[in-house]
Amino acid sequence: MAPENEAQQAVPNAPGKRTDGGVTRRRPLRERHVEETIEVAVPVRTAYNQWTQFKTFPRFSALVHAVEQIRPTMTAWTIGYGPLRRRFAVEILEQDPDAYLAWRGLEQNPSHQGEVEFRPTESGGTAITVRMLLTPQGAARILTRSSRATRLTARLVRGELVNFKRFIEGLGQEGGAWRGTIRNGRVQHDHPEPPRSRVAQWPVG
Amino acid sequence: MQNSPGEEPETSLSVTPPKKWAAGVPAVVHALEYSLEQTSPRKTGVDLLTMNQVGGVDCPGCAWADPAPGRRHRNEYCENGAKHINDEATTRRITAGFFREHSVSDLAARSDLWLNQQGRLTEPMIKRPGSEHYEPVSWSDALGVLAQELNGLASPDEAVFYTSGRASNEAAFVLQLFARAFGTNNLPDCSNMCHESSGFALSETLGTGKGTVSLDDLHHADLIFLVGQNPGSNHPRQLSALEEAKRNGCRIVAVNPLPEAGLRRFKNPQKPSGLLGRGTQIADRFLHIKPGGDLALFQALNRLLLEAEDAAPGTVLDHDFIDAHTTGFEEFAQHARTIDWDDVHTATGLTRAEIEKVRDEVLNSERVIVCWAMGITQHKHAVPTVREFVNFLMLRGNLGRAGTGACPVRGHSNVQGDRTMGIWEQMPDTFLDALRREFGFDPPRPHGLNSVNSIKAMREGRVKVFLALAGNFVRAAPDSEVTEEAMRSCRLTAHISTKLNRSHTVCGDTALILPTLGRTERDVQADGEQFVTVENSMSEVHTSQGRLEPASPLLLSEVAILCRLARRTLDGKADIPWDKFEGDYGTIRDHISRVVPGFHDFNARVSRPGGFQLPNPVNEGVFNNKVGKALFTSNEHVVPRAPEGHLLLQTLRSHDQWNTIPYTNNDRYRGIHGSRHVVLVNPADLTELGLAQGDHVDLVSVWADGSERRAENFEVVPYPAAKGSAAAYYPETNVLVPLDSVADISNQPTSKGIVVRLEPTVDRTRPTPA
Repeated sequence: MAPENEAQQAVPNAPGKRTDGGVTRRRPLRERHVEETIEVAVPVRTAYNQWTQFKTFPRFSALVHAVEQIRPTMTAWTIGYGPLRRRFAVEILEQDPDAYLAWRGLEQNPSHQGEVEFRPTESGGTAITVRMLLTPQGAARILTRSSRATRLTARLVRGELVNFKRFIEGLGQEGGAWRGTIRNGRVQHDHPEPPRSRVAQWPVG
Repeated sequence: MQNSPGEEPETSLSVTPPKKWAAGVPAVVHALEYSLEQTSPRKTGVDLLTMNQVGGVDCPGCAWADPAPGRRHRNEYCENGAKHINDEATTRRITAGFFREHSVSDLAARSDLWLNQQGRLTEPMIKRPGSEHYEPVSWSDALGVLAQELNGLASPDEAVFYTSGRASNEAAFVLQLFARAFGTNNLPDCSNMCHESSGFALSETLGTGKGTVSLDDLHHADLIFLVGQNPGSNHPRQLSALEEAKRNGCRIVAVNPLPEAGLRRFKNPQKPSGLLGRGTQIADRFLHIKPGGDLALFQALNRLLLEAEDAAPGTVLDHDFIDAHTTGFEEFAQHARTIDWDDVHTATGLTRAEIEKVRDEVLNSERVIVCWAMGITQHKHAVPTVREFVNFLMLRGNLGRAGTGACPVRGHSNVQGDRTMGIWEQMPDTFLDALRREFGFDPPRPHGLNSVNSIKAMREGRVKVFLALAGNFVRAAPDSEVTEEAMRSCRLTAHISTKLNRSHTVCGDTALILPTLGRTERDVQADGEQFVTVENSMSEVHTSQGRLEPASPLLLSEVAILCRLARRTLDGKADIPWDKFEGDYGTIRDHISRVVPGFHDFNARVSRPGGFQLPNPVNEGVFNNKVGKALFTSNEHVVPRAPEGHLLLQTLRSHDQWNTIPYTNNDRYRGIHGSRHVVLVNPADLTELGLAQGDHVDLVSVWADGSERRAENFEVVPYPAAKGSAAAYYPETNVLVPLDSVADISNQPTSKGIVVRLEPTVDRTRPTPA
């Protein structure tokens, strides 16, 4: 069983702005209320591919009970503890294979956004960094104003990262992959015809 | 339970003020009242509690999507769905004695309501040439007569195979396979008359004929347009989605010639606040538009958006999307700036200030969806109007992102799936090639006949056999007198039906009634109990399985009837395992998985709770049209006009009606009670025309051919219809829609925007139309 502080032991390559052909990608998240990093002992491609199989989160997560992949840019998550359940929709704003993923919740209350970075480490593993920002509205804003709420969120994120590490290291290889790219919440089509798009093309009355 | 009515219900009109909200307690009461009139409390309970549930029966009413498994209410249906499903589950039965008592001409004089109220068909019937009565016939003889007639045709193209949107994917696939193995592409369907215009416009501009949104998109949109649709009566479960959107802060703009109750406020009967409280306001802004003015409205909006971008460059339009994913923007923008504000006002009846307020709503919204229905698609310029919706969405990148998109709201539960299965007269070679590879015969390549052209061909004697898989073609089609003449010209007409309707009474020399299982009933075949599959308006494919015992042991399923007919007709001409298809619908799905794109592993995937969703290419950054990019279009400006003394008529359904079938003569949301022979007209127009409430008028339509089309003896009701317009019920006023009056490009009949004049009824003793 991995120690709880394992998440803090990762030594990632220095994170920096991601550039691709000289173009700096927009990152939606500027404030970093919660940031946790973990190193997993699988190649970055494996880690990324498994992470983006969102439907499998309930297999390792203590909080996530179900994930519906509505389409590549949209998922609905059911999380909960004990008998409590909450479902919310999430939009994926940016996704770069083997590198980066940014999302935002579509609910108004509470709203949240986050990003995940995948970086290869010198040892051949992957450093995964999750940053999350919660912006509760109304009464929830008062309840979560204290630093205790932030610490709780950080602990939950760290716990989930540890769970993921055990999961992917135990499996050794990913159980699927989606290698598309998303920019500004829209899938970038850079292949002649992605397999999922092979559908009936005739008019529907 | 009540017995079927012996006589026509009396019609006596009373009018009350239109309702300002939809659903609530009255919806529950009316649903249960009608259900218990038709069937037992036990059957009502079984139907309603399994309806739209995982593993249960799919509501045959509309094509609205179900919430994800686990998120469905215990009562996941609406008032109209409850009525519809128990209308099918009725305990009333039609037997051979009924047909001995009622001649075909007697039945042809009956109303749609009376015919439907007689109950379920229970055994195959035939009307032989020269006979005035249907009589019982064995299944073997019935299918033998039909097969012999088909094989006696000079060409397979002398037969037409019509499909209604109730048919399952399996039945639809089998029907098109049979028709093509027989040798024709004559496969008209009800899509030809409802959303054909949407399909053509979306395919051309986006490369998909289907809508791009899911329920979750609607729930998380910032702004939703409801254009030319009446969700309160025609797809009430949409109101729940709109309510959730409102809860998430969405604003709604409704655009319609009538201020329908469901566009104003919704009292959700699933919630205490809906039963006891004020409910949810639906439209934040209502645009009381003239019929057919929607094209001009969206052209004006687009011009305003372009001008807003001019004033603050880089802040209004989504240039990243436009540059990377679209083509035709410059020509479109140039054309959009030429629209004339006087024309916009004439076409829409709206002021520039009203439209500018809507522009502001758009500018304040990051995620926008446009929903529309037949208030758009049944106009002559329907295709350009839908194209203009696409232009509007693309300007600010409202496609392919969460909470955005195009949402054609379809009306019949599997109308989308039937088309996906190949029910179309113009199927592309890719599909026909796949059929050839799978079944080893060469399907015919020339395009077949759509609904309008089928009527013309029947009338001219070019089509001699008409087979309908469900539906009520005679009443759904335009130009009723012409359609009826066409049907009567056929040598043989045959209908696979659950209940009696006018299409059985207006028939060919020989006529067959082939009674079939309803959605609500158990379907047991050689391989055991079967389920069927359907595809809803949001491209989700799932199962449907009835739980009730069949209305008669002599009923066959739609699939069984078609497979037996195919065996009798083709007699081994093609190597198609019809007997396996009949015994195990899973074998049909196996073949579908290899023929229809997107259906791989069909049996396995559809067996999961909730089924699966077909991907939409637009949401994956793919535009499968001719240019490979989303296409901006420049659409001619259209100003619908009626000559002096005339009005623009729209035909519409009442609240107590499902497609061509009224359940009562009431329309309580509009305050109409006891009669359907009414015409709703703006009070100012009535004054100008010298008419008053209670006057009786004939509706006379004006068309280029000079033929007089007249709907007689309608009572005038002052109503807040848009100035210059009138509204009257479908299908009673289909007689006014000329067969040649079709939408440009899509060939869809124009049941909206018909130019009519109101003439005082001379002889009020004449019977009102059936």
